[in-house]
Amino acid sequence: MLVIVVFVLVGIVTALLWASLDAFGGNVEQTAGVYSTIIFFVLLVGTLVTPAVSGGAINGDRDAGTLATTQVTLATTGQIVLAKFLAAWTVALTFLAASLPAMLFTVLAGGVRLDTLAASLGVLVLELGVVAAVGVGLSGVIARPLFSVVTTYLVVAALSIGTLIAFTLGGLAVQTERTQTYIGIDFSVGGEFDPVTGLPEEIVCLEPETYSYPVPRFDLVWGILAANPYIVLADAAPTTFTSEGYPEDLFGQIALGVRSAQLPIVFDEVIDECGAALAGDPNSAYEFETPQEIFDRTVPSWFVGLAIHLVLAIAALAAAVARTRTPAGRLPTGSRVA
Amino acid sequence: MTSTAAIAVEGVARSFGDVHAVRQADFEAASGQVTALIGPNGSGKTTLLLMLATLLQPDAGTIRIAGHDPVADPRAVRRVMGWMPDVLGSWAALTVRGALETTGRLYELGPADARTRANELIELVGLETLADQPARVLSRGQKQRLSLARALVHRPSVLLLDEPASGLDPAARVDLRVLVRRLAAEGCAVVVSSHVLAELDEMADTAVYLDHGATASAERIERSRATARDWRVRALDPAALAAALEAESIVTSGTDHLGALVTVSGEAEAAAVLERLVRAGIAVSAFGPAVGDLEHTYLDLARGEVAEQPVIDSTEAPR
Repeated sequence: MLVIVVFVLVGIVTALLWASLDAFGGNVEQTAGVYSTIIFFVLLVGTLVTPAVSGGAINGDRDAGTLATTQVTLATTGQIVLAKFLAAWTVALTFLAASLPAMLFTVLAGGVRLDTLAASLGVLVLELGVVAAVGVGLSGVIARPLFSVVTTYLVVAALSIGTLIAFTLGGLAVQTERTQTYIGIDFSVGGEFDPVTGLPEEIVCLEPETYSYPVPRFDLVWGILAANPYIVLADAAPTTFTSEGYPEDLFGQIALGVRSAQLPIVFDEVIDECGAALAGDPNSAYEFETPQEIFDRTVPSWFVGLAIHLVLAIAALAAAVARTRTPAGRLPTGSRVA
Repeated sequence: MTSTAAIAVEGVARSFGDVHAVRQADFEAASGQVTALIGPNGSGKTTLLLMLATLLQPDAGTIRIAGHDPVADPRAVRRVMGWMPDVLGSWAALTVRGALETTGRLYELGPADARTRANELIELVGLETLADQPARVLSRGQKQRLSLARALVHRPSVLLLDEPASGLDPAARVDLRVLVRRLAAEGCAVVVSSHVLAELDEMADTAVYLDHGATASAERIERSRATARDWRVRALDPAALAAALEAESIVTSGTDHLGALVTVSGEAEAAAVLERLVRAGIAVSAFGPAVGDLEHTYLDLARGEVAEQPVIDSTEAPR
């Protein structure tokens, strides 16, 4: 039932995206853009549904009275927890399977590169596994199913939204004074303007003006973003650029966000428009980097984020095994073995 | 303690926080015998069975199931031990057959063996008509039978049954008793816990009394058995019976709707009382103990407990 809902939802989103992007024209950008948006949508739906599926796996069985009867068989605690995890992961992946027709459509329409496809699908499958593992793990650690489901949702929210909040607040909390010196051209002297360059015949420089203002230090806290599953997904997919150096899909645009945050801040900047004008082109005083240039001089972080998630998943499962092991030693207050 | 006992429990204790569910349990259960585990609600029966079933570690004492330590080697114990819990849980989506086959696979039977065994057990517990129904449609008594079948999947030599008869109708209770006796006859050591003593009376060879987490010692049980107890006499003419009891100066402790209650100590005295009544020309239609053996001992032990220490209102122990 839920699978059908997901199938219909993803279908609607794809159709709407296709229709709305059609207005902008362009072929390659369009299909790549639609594909990456679908992948993010599936990650959103998957992380919204998987906690409910996995978060009551072990304590729910205990409540239903079927855990203890399994534990007295020859199946080990590790096998039981692992089986619960694989079952939850499989359910989560059926939601991905329900979105496959929509994805296939964009892939067949062309423009989605094979390496982008492999990387994004691979990370998506792993991330759904992480949520499933955290849910099953917490269901083994927390006595009541309701609380473990809610806690799983909180973990997902902490990673998806909490990292963004922490990044923003952290960057704003640490601010550094930045000074900018501007040397302009005195347009009031120097005679006639050249009709081609717009500059006076004789270029006279103004006195340097110095501004100083605080800037947030996002370059210090960008690492927090590495733990965000959406950014892991975006950063892991190989980014392709247009001839102007702009990312072609949503993966690239979101990855650009985390890459730009890495850029070190120049604390003393001198914008010498006058000097540049004397050298020939006043616009060269303003440094401008294309997104492609930013990508080239910053580092990818997705494997760090993915490693953090995998460690979290394994730790959650290990905690569940330790807590569910029989014969049970100390039991936390209010919990029971059967 | 002999090493041949299928179950040997010595000095076992287990507490949950401040609640001492089992304080001092000592008993043995032999192969081929049905051992009743008797005690009021909250006396620690289920906790003790959970420890025997390799699910809980004792805080103190030792347990041996067929010679294996459930803490050190739970796998060896699980191989030979079947446990039917007091909580009725079944995989709601699986059919009866599917649940038994899955359990068989969990006991490392091959697919074909598991299927064969599932069919045998369905027949054994009489669930043939429901074999392909999902377990959630079963009634309480039917779930109880499924639970028993599940405990028997791997042909255990030690069988732990926690309140197996609760929720069963009279016919099913008889079936259960016959089945348990048959399993014991085949060499299985069966431990049955219950607080319905009448049904245990007909099923059990020996009994272990558990009260406030401690098993009653053998001498206390012996003492209880020897105490005076009521026998019930019924005659065709109640008035004549009352007169005869009066004339023979037989100690009575009242009458109830089923007849008069006479207090005797031991079976010899009971036989003597009956003989005197018959000689007096009373047409006795029924003569027997007013309460079962187990119940008498149990109640006597419980009364002894009252005399020794005030009974704390013991609700079901938290687990």
